[in-house]
Amino acid sequence: MLGVGQKFPDYSLTATVSLDMKNAFKTITNNDYAGKWKVYFFWPKDFTFVCPTEIAAFGKINKEFLDRDAQILGGSTDSEFVHHAWRTHHEDLKNLPFPMLADVKRELTSALDILDPDAGVAQRATYIVDPDGIIRFAYVTDLSVGRNPQEVLRVLDALQTDELCPCNWQKGEETLVVA
Amino acid sequence: MTIDELIDSLPAYAKDLKLNYSSLVRQQTELSQQQLWGTLVASAMVSRNLELIRAVLAEAATQISPTALEAAKAAAAVMGMNNIYYRFLHLSSNEKYRAIPAKLRMNVMRSHGVDQTDFELWSTAASAINGCGACVDSHEKVLRNHGFTEEQILMSVRIASIVHAIATVLDTESIAAADTVTA
Repeated sequence: MLGVGQKFPDYSLTATVSLDMKNAFKTITNNDYAGKWKVYFFWPKDFTFVCPTEIAAFGKINKEFLDRDAQILGGSTDSEFVHHAWRTHHEDLKNLPFPMLADVKRELTSALDILDPDAGVAQRATYIVDPDGIIRFAYVTDLSVGRNPQEVLRVLDALQTDELCPCNWQKGEETLVVA
Repeated sequence: MTIDELIDSLPAYAKDLKLNYSSLVRQQTELSQQQLWGTLVASAMVSRNLELIRAVLAEAATQISPTALEAAKAAAAVMGMNNIYYRFLHLSSNEKYRAIPAKLRMNVMRSHGVDQTDFELWSTAASAINGCGACVDSHEKVLRNHGFTEEQILMSVRIASIVHAIATVLDTESIAAADTVTA
Protein backbone atom coordinates (compact mmCIF):
# COMPACT_ATOMS: atom_id res chain seq x y z
CA MET A 1 0.00 0.00 0.00
CA LEU A 2 1.09 3.58 -0.55
CA GLY A 3 2.84 5.03 2.46
CA VAL A 4 4.05 8.15 4.20
CA GLY A 5 5.78 10.65 1.95
CA GLN A 6 4.03 9.53 -1.22
CA LYS A 7 1.51 11.59 -3.12
CA PHE A 8 -2.12 10.53 -2.64
CA PRO A 9 -3.43 9.38 -6.04
CA ASP A 10 -5.60 11.59 -8.25
CA TYR A 11 -9.19 10.43 -8.35
CA SER A 12 -12.67 11.43 -9.42
CA LEU A 13 -15.44 9.42 -7.78
CA THR A 14 -19.16 9.61 -7.14
CA ALA A 15 -19.91 10.00 -3.47
CA THR A 16 -23.04 9.66 -1.38
CA VAL A 17 -23.42 12.87 0.56
CA SER A 18 -26.98 12.84 1.84
CA LEU A 19 -30.16 10.77 2.08
CA ASP A 20 -32.25 13.22 0.07
CA MET A 21 -32.50 11.58 -3.38
CA LYS A 22 -32.46 14.99 -5.09
CA ASN A 23 -28.92 15.75 -3.96
CA ALA A 24 -27.62 12.46 -2.62
CA PHE A 25 -24.76 12.06 -5.07
CA LYS A 26 -21.84 14.31 -5.91
CA THR A 27 -18.58 13.89 -7.79
CA ILE A 28 -15.58 14.39 -5.55
CA THR A 29 -11.99 14.65 -6.76
CA ASN A 30 -8.60 14.96 -5.12
CA ASN A 31 -8.75 18.69 -5.90
CA ASP A 32 -11.75 19.31 -3.68
CA TYR A 33 -11.33 20.68 -0.15
CA ALA A 34 -8.27 22.64 -1.29
CA GLY A 35 -6.08 23.83 1.55
CA LYS A 36 -7.49 21.27 3.97
CA TRP A 37 -6.08 18.12 5.45
CA LYS A 38 -7.95 14.99 4.46
CA VAL A 39 -8.67 11.82 6.39
CA TYR A 40 -9.58 8.97 4.06
CA PHE A 41 -10.76 5.73 5.55
CA PHE A 42 -11.83 2.65 3.65
CA TRP A 43 -13.80 -0.38 4.69
CA PRO A 44 -14.42 -3.72 2.96
CA LYS A 45 -18.18 -3.82 2.48
CA ASP A 46 -21.32 -1.93 3.30
CA PHE A 47 -24.00 -3.79 5.27
CA THR A 48 -21.49 -5.69 7.45
CA PHE A 49 -20.97 -5.57 11.20
CA VAL A 50 -17.69 -3.94 12.15
CA CYS A 51 -17.96 -1.05 9.72
CA PRO A 52 -20.96 0.88 11.08
CA THR A 53 -19.47 1.26 14.55
CA GLU A 54 -16.25 2.65 13.11
CA ILE A 55 -17.97 4.92 10.62
CA ALA A 56 -20.38 6.26 13.23
CA ALA A 57 -17.44 6.79 15.60
CA PHE A 58 -15.72 8.98 13.00
CA GLY A 59 -19.00 10.78 12.49
CA LYS A 60 -19.32 11.54 16.20
CA ILE A 61 -15.96 13.34 16.26
CA ASN A 62 -16.34 14.97 12.82
CA LYS A 63 -16.36 18.42 14.45
CA GLU A 64 -12.97 17.78 16.02
CA PHE A 65 -11.58 17.04 12.56
CA LEU A 66 -13.28 20.08 11.02
CA ASP A 67 -11.81 22.27 13.80
CA ARG A 68 -8.40 21.05 12.72
CA ASP A 69 -9.12 21.94 9.06
CA ALA A 70 -9.49 18.26 8.17
CA GLN A 71 -12.18 16.72 5.96
CA ILE A 72 -13.14 13.09 6.57
CA LEU A 73 -13.93 11.02 3.48
CA GLY A 74 -15.10 7.45 3.89
CA GLY A 75 -15.11 4.88 1.10
CA SER A 76 -15.52 1.33 -0.10
CA THR A 77 -15.86 -0.43 -3.44
CA ASP A 78 -19.66 -0.43 -3.10
CA SER A 79 -21.70 1.79 -5.42
CA GLU A 80 -23.21 5.09 -4.38
CA PHE A 81 -26.65 3.44 -4.37
CA VAL A 82 -25.52 0.76 -1.94
CA HIS A 83 -24.07 3.53 0.29
CA HIS A 84 -27.38 5.33 0.10
CA ALA A 85 -29.40 2.22 0.94
CA TRP A 86 -27.12 1.39 3.87
CA ARG A 87 -27.33 4.89 5.29
CA THR A 88 -31.10 4.91 4.88
CA HIS A 89 -31.54 1.68 6.79
CA HIS A 90 -28.93 2.01 9.49
CA GLU A 91 -29.82 4.20 12.44
CA ASP A 92 -26.22 5.13 13.22
CA LEU A 93 -25.46 6.20 9.65
CA LYS A 94 -28.53 8.25 8.77
CA ASN A 95 -27.01 11.59 9.68
CA LEU A 96 -23.43 10.88 8.73
CA PRO A 97 -21.74 14.27 8.35
CA PHE A 98 -19.14 13.28 5.73
CA PRO A 99 -19.22 11.78 2.20
CA MET A 100 -18.94 8.09 1.35
CA LEU A 101 -16.84 7.57 -1.79
CA ALA A 102 -17.96 4.83 -4.18
CA ASP A 103 -14.85 3.29 -5.74
CA VAL A 104 -16.85 0.91 -7.93
CA LYS A 105 -14.14 0.51 -10.59
CA ARG A 106 -11.55 -0.04 -7.85
CA GLU A 107 -9.41 2.75 -9.35
CA LEU A 108 -8.49 4.55 -6.13
CA THR A 109 -8.20 1.43 -3.99
CA SER A 110 -5.91 -0.11 -6.66
CA ALA A 111 -3.79 3.00 -6.92
CA LEU A 112 -3.44 2.91 -3.14
CA ASP A 113 -2.84 -0.85 -3.32
CA ILE A 114 -5.22 -1.56 -0.43
CA LEU A 115 -7.39 -4.21 -2.09
CA ASP A 116 -7.36 -7.42 -0.12
CA PRO A 117 -5.92 -10.10 -2.46
CA ASP A 118 -8.39 -12.77 -1.28
CA ALA A 119 -11.56 -10.77 -0.79
CA GLY A 120 -11.06 -8.29 -3.64
CA VAL A 121 -12.45 -5.44 -1.55
CA ALA A 122 -10.72 -2.63 0.32
CA GLN A 123 -8.89 -3.43 3.52
CA ARG A 124 -9.51 -1.21 6.52
CA ALA A 125 -7.01 1.43 5.56
CA THR A 126 -6.87 4.98 6.89
CA TYR A 127 -4.82 7.79 5.41
CA ILE A 128 -4.08 11.29 6.65
CA VAL A 129 -3.15 13.52 3.71
CA ASP A 130 -1.78 17.05 4.15
CA PRO A 131 -2.96 20.14 2.19
CA ASP A 132 -0.17 19.50 -0.35
CA GLY A 133 -1.56 16.04 -1.13
CA ILE A 134 1.19 14.11 0.61
CA ILE A 135 0.41 11.06 2.76
CA ARG A 136 1.50 11.72 6.33
CA PHE A 137 -0.02 8.70 8.10
CA ALA A 138 -1.09 5.26 6.89
CA TYR A 139 -2.88 2.78 9.14
CA VAL A 140 -4.44 -0.54 8.12
CA THR A 141 -5.99 -3.39 10.08
CA ASP A 142 -7.10 -6.84 9.01
CA LEU A 143 -10.66 -7.26 7.76
CA SER A 144 -12.24 -8.27 11.06
CA VAL A 145 -10.74 -5.64 13.37
CA GLY A 146 -12.15 -2.13 13.74
CA ARG A 147 -10.07 1.03 13.97
CA ASN A 148 -9.79 3.73 16.60
CA PRO A 149 -10.80 7.19 15.30
CA GLN A 150 -9.40 8.86 18.45
CA GLU A 151 -5.99 7.54 17.50
CA VAL A 152 -6.34 9.11 14.05
CA LEU A 153 -7.25 12.42 15.70
CA ARG A 154 -4.26 12.13 18.03
CA VAL A 155 -1.93 11.66 15.08
CA LEU A 156 -3.49 14.56 13.17
CA ASP A 157 -2.88 16.77 16.21
CA ALA A 158 0.72 15.65 16.44
CA LEU A 159 1.27 16.27 12.72
CA GLN A 160 -0.14 19.78 13.04
CA THR A 161 1.71 20.81 16.19
CA ASP A 162 5.08 22.45 15.75
CA GLU A 163 7.06 24.39 18.31
CA LEU A 164 7.33 27.66 16.49
CA CYS A 165 8.79 29.82 19.28
CA PRO A 166 12.05 31.67 18.81
CA CYS A 167 13.29 30.22 22.09
CA ASN A 168 13.32 26.80 20.44
CA TRP A 169 15.39 28.01 17.57
CA GLN A 170 18.62 26.07 17.34
CA LYS A 171 21.63 27.74 15.87
CA GLY A 172 21.83 27.08 12.15
CA GLU A 173 18.13 26.36 11.63
CA GLU A 174 15.96 28.59 9.46
CA THR A 175 14.20 31.36 11.29
CA LEU A 176 10.45 31.73 11.29
CA VAL A 177 9.19 33.15 8.04
CA VAL A 178 5.56 34.01 7.42
CA ALA A 179 4.17 31.82 4.64
CA MET B 1 -15.73 54.27 29.90
CA THR B 2 -13.47 55.10 26.98
CA ILE B 3 -9.79 54.68 27.50
CA ASP B 4 -9.32 58.45 27.81
CA GLU B 5 -12.03 58.58 30.47
CA LEU B 6 -10.40 55.72 32.34
CA ILE B 7 -7.02 57.47 32.30
CA ASP B 8 -8.63 60.69 33.52
CA SER B 9 -10.28 58.78 36.32
CA LEU B 10 -7.00 57.51 37.76
CA PRO B 11 -6.63 58.58 41.41
CA ALA B 12 -4.10 61.11 42.66
CA TYR B 13 -1.69 58.46 43.92
CA ALA B 14 -1.37 57.19 40.34
CA LYS B 15 -0.75 60.55 38.75
CA ASP B 16 2.63 59.39 37.42
CA LEU B 17 0.90 56.67 35.44
CA LYS B 18 -1.64 59.10 34.06
CA LEU B 19 1.08 61.46 32.88
CA ASN B 20 3.27 58.65 31.57
CA TYR B 21 0.36 57.32 29.52
CA SER B 22 -0.29 60.78 28.19
CA SER B 23 3.26 61.64 27.19
CA LEU B 24 4.37 58.20 26.01
CA VAL B 25 1.30 56.71 24.44
CA ARG B 26 -0.23 59.82 22.99
CA GLN B 27 2.99 61.41 21.82
CA GLN B 28 5.35 58.59 20.96
CA THR B 29 6.92 58.47 17.51
CA GLU B 30 8.93 55.26 17.52
CA LEU B 31 6.09 52.90 16.75
CA SER B 32 3.52 52.84 13.93
CA GLN B 33 -0.19 53.07 14.76
CA GLN B 34 -0.54 49.34 14.32
CA GLN B 35 2.49 48.56 16.47
CA LEU B 36 1.29 50.95 19.18
CA TRP B 37 -2.28 49.71 19.35
CA GLY B 38 -1.33 46.08 19.07
CA THR B 39 1.01 46.58 22.02
CA LEU B 40 -1.77 48.26 23.99
CA VAL B 41 -4.19 45.42 23.20
CA ALA B 42 -1.78 42.60 24.06
CA SER B 43 -0.60 44.41 27.21
CA ALA B 44 -4.14 45.11 28.42
CA MET B 45 -5.18 41.51 27.84
CA VAL B 46 -2.36 40.01 29.89
CA SER B 47 -2.82 42.64 32.61
CA ARG B 48 -6.28 41.24 33.29
CA ASN B 49 -8.37 44.28 34.26
CA LEU B 50 -11.69 43.86 32.47
CA GLU B 51 -12.58 47.54 32.26
CA LEU B 52 -9.23 48.40 30.75
CA ILE B 53 -9.41 45.52 28.28
CA ARG B 54 -12.88 46.60 27.20
CA ALA B 55 -11.81 50.22 26.70
CA VAL B 56 -8.59 49.35 24.88
CA LEU B 57 -10.30 46.89 22.54
CA ALA B 58 -13.01 49.43 21.70
CA GLU B 59 -10.50 52.14 20.89
CA ALA B 60 -8.14 49.79 19.03
CA ALA B 61 -10.98 48.77 16.74
CA THR B 62 -11.10 52.35 15.49
CA GLN B 63 -7.33 52.62 15.08
CA ILE B 64 -6.18 49.40 13.39
CA SER B 65 -7.58 46.86 10.94
CA PRO B 66 -9.69 43.91 12.14
CA THR B 67 -6.90 41.54 11.09
CA ALA B 68 -4.35 43.45 13.18
CA LEU B 69 -6.69 43.53 16.16
CA GLU B 70 -7.26 39.77 15.95
CA ALA B 71 -3.52 39.23 15.59
CA ALA B 72 -2.72 41.29 18.70
CA LYS B 73 -5.29 39.32 20.68
CA ALA B 74 -3.77 36.12 19.31
CA ALA B 75 -0.32 37.24 20.49
CA ALA B 76 -1.66 37.74 24.04
CA ALA B 77 -3.47 34.40 23.86
CA VAL B 78 -0.57 32.29 22.67
CA MET B 79 1.98 34.05 24.89
CA GLY B 80 -0.28 33.45 27.89
CA MET B 81 0.45 29.77 27.26
CA ASN B 82 4.07 29.94 26.08
CA ASN B 83 5.19 32.32 28.83
CA ILE B 84 4.23 29.72 31.43
CA TYR B 85 5.49 26.66 29.61
CA TYR B 86 8.83 28.01 28.44
CA ARG B 87 9.47 29.89 31.66
CA PHE B 88 9.18 26.53 33.42
CA LEU B 89 11.60 24.93 30.98
CA HIS B 90 14.16 27.65 31.51
CA LEU B 91 13.74 27.81 35.27
CA SER B 92 14.16 24.08 35.71
CA SER B 93 17.72 22.85 35.85
CA ASN B 94 16.52 19.55 34.34
CA GLU B 95 17.69 19.85 30.74
CA LYS B 96 15.64 16.84 29.66
CA TYR B 97 12.45 18.90 29.48
CA ARG B 98 13.78 20.85 26.52
CA ALA B 99 14.19 17.68 24.48
CA ILE B 100 10.67 16.43 25.10
CA PRO B 101 8.07 17.65 22.56
CA ALA B 102 5.91 20.42 23.98
CA LYS B 103 2.76 19.12 22.25
CA LEU B 104 1.30 22.60 22.38
CA ARG B 105 -0.29 24.05 19.25
CA MET B 106 0.84 27.57 18.48
CA ASN B 107 -0.02 27.71 14.80
CA VAL B 108 -1.40 31.25 15.04
CA MET B 109 2.23 32.39 15.19
CA ARG B 110 2.32 31.56 11.47
CA SER B 111 -1.22 32.34 10.42
CA HIS B 112 -2.02 35.69 12.07
CA GLY B 113 -1.84 37.60 8.79
CA VAL B 114 0.15 40.69 9.87
CA ASP B 115 3.85 41.56 9.64
CA GLN B 116 5.72 38.93 11.60
CA THR B 117 7.78 41.63 13.29
CA ASP B 118 4.67 43.39 14.63
CA PHE B 119 3.43 40.08 16.02
CA GLU B 120 6.84 39.52 17.61
CA LEU B 121 6.72 43.00 19.14
CA TRP B 122 3.36 42.31 20.76
CA SER B 123 4.58 38.92 21.94
CA THR B 124 7.59 40.59 23.54
CA ALA B 125 5.36 43.07 25.38
CA ALA B 126 3.17 40.24 26.68
CA SER B 127 6.25 38.26 27.72
CA ALA B 128 7.64 41.25 29.60
CA ILE B 129 4.44 41.49 31.61
CA ASN B 130 4.07 37.75 32.15
CA GLY B 131 7.68 37.61 33.24
CA CYS B 132 9.20 34.92 31.05
CA GLY B 133 12.87 35.85 30.85
CA ALA B 134 13.81 33.40 28.14
CA CYS B 135 10.88 34.52 26.00
CA VAL B 136 11.89 38.16 26.40
CA ASP B 137 15.46 37.35 25.46
CA SER B 138 14.66 35.32 22.35
CA HIS B 139 11.94 37.65 21.05
CA GLU B 140 14.17 40.67 21.60
CA LYS B 141 16.89 39.04 19.49
CA VAL B 142 14.43 38.24 16.71
CA LEU B 143 13.23 41.85 16.68
CA ARG B 144 16.74 43.23 16.40
CA ASN B 145 17.60 40.72 13.67
CA HIS B 146 14.66 42.13 11.75
CA GLY B 147 15.90 45.68 12.03
CA PHE B 148 14.07 46.98 15.10
CA THR B 149 16.02 49.47 17.17
CA GLU B 150 16.49 49.32 20.92
CA GLU B 151 14.44 52.51 21.13
CA GLN B 152 11.48 50.90 19.40
CA ILE B 153 11.65 47.78 21.54
CA LEU B 154 11.95 49.81 24.71
CA MET B 155 8.97 51.97 23.73
CA SER B 156 6.73 48.92 23.52
CA VAL B 157 8.04 47.73 26.88
CA ARG B 158 7.37 51.15 28.42
CA ILE B 159 3.81 50.91 27.12
CA ALA B 160 3.45 47.40 28.53
CA SER B 161 4.75 48.63 31.89
CA ILE B 162 2.31 51.53 32.04
CA VAL B 163 -0.65 49.45 30.95
CA HIS B 164 0.13 46.84 33.58
CA ALA B 165 0.40 49.47 36.28
CA ILE B 166 -2.86 51.11 35.23
CA ALA B 167 -4.61 47.74 35.35
CA THR B 168 -3.36 47.22 38.90
CA VAL B 169 -4.74 50.60 39.99
CA LEU B 170 -8.07 50.05 38.28
CA ASP B 171 -8.41 46.69 40.06
CA THR B 172 -8.00 48.42 43.39
CA GLU B 173 -10.25 51.33 42.48
CA SER B 174 -12.99 48.95 41.43
CA ILE B 175 -13.20 47.67 45.02
CA ALA B 176 -13.93 51.17 46.23
CA ALA B 177 -16.53 51.63 43.54
CA ALA B 178 -18.20 48.31 44.37
CA ASP B 179 -18.22 49.10 48.10
CA THR B 180 -19.84 52.45 47.40
CA VAL B 181 -22.64 50.75 45.50
CA THR B 182 -23.38 48.11 48.13
CA ALA B 183 -22.92 50.36 51.18
